[in-house]
Amino acid sequence: MKNNRLLNLHKKLREEGILISFSGKFSQEIIEELGEAVKKYLEAEEHPKTDIFNVFSIFIEQTQNIKNYCVSKKDTGFYEQISNSCIVVIGKNESGVKYIFSGNMVQNEDTDRLEKVINELHGLDKQQLKKLYKQKLKQEINPERKSAGLGLVEIARKSTSPLEFSIEEMDELFSFFTLKATV
Amino acid sequence: MHKLIIEGSKSTPEINFDPDNNILSIKGQSYPENAFKFYEPILDWVDDYLKKLENEAKVQIDFTLPYINTSSSKCIMMLLEKCDDAFLDGKVISLTWYYDEDNESELECAEEFTEDLNLPINILPR
Repeated sequence: MKNNRLLNLHKKLREEGILISFSGKFSQEIIEELGEAVKKYLEAEEHPKTDIFNVFSIFIEQTQNIKNYCVSKKDTGFYEQISNSCIVVIGKNESGVKYIFSGNMVQNEDTDRLEKVINELHGLDKQQLKKLYKQKLKQEINPERKSAGLGLVEIARKSTSPLEFSIEEMDELFSFFTLKATV
Repeated sequence: MHKLIIEGSKSTPEINFDPDNNILSIKGQSYPENAFKFYEPILDWVDDYLKKLENEAKVQIDFTLPYINTSSSKCIMMLLEKCDDAFLDGKVISLTWYYDEDNESELECAEEFTEDLNLPINILPR
């Protein structure tokens, strides 16, 4: 068993401090199961309730955002490809800081808008984020868009450090988008 | 008017709206796949209820929401705004929001929802 690949992967995950990782198509059921599992795990480790709540909250917003993005591509012919490209990881580093790290393929035509939205959030402090959140909370719902546009604002509010993101072009059609929040 | 009772699940709260005793209770986590679809019949029920509500009736709203995602928050805000409008219109409505004392974020959430409302609000540890 010198080259047991599964064991090596397991070691690698442990070295990286990864508590939960999932790669593949996000469904509501998977989101619920993973969310509850991470909550139980952190409860067992006796993290402060507020931290557990914030990790859970960021995880739900991040994964539901990605899932909604995938669903919005249902009629494009890219749905399966994009849906199967999703990944989310929850881990913690040596000093106990928890992180929620997600990635998914996006169409190149969507990257400018995405980058603009996140960059706008970067410039805002907690008070300004709260103001923006409340303003968006009260906006009329656009029935065409499932997302209230609130998810990213909420993730930025709950994250203890500014959101880290990357957009890497894969080919002429797609890029890979990653987003990392910390608690 | 009929009662509105919806059983809770992992991602949807338990709804117990009792028009005979004028108690509207929402209890549990809320992060369904499609919040607008889940809350639509609830908001419709509330519209109908408030329309038929007599001025003398005392309405008590009870919330216990350990976690609400952003799209559910939007729906809860709509529900509260409907009730607040009815209150400004002369109906007797009050809201009690139960939170977990050990969780600052839950208290913060309750405060944010209620800070712009006019109806009487109690935020209490559960």
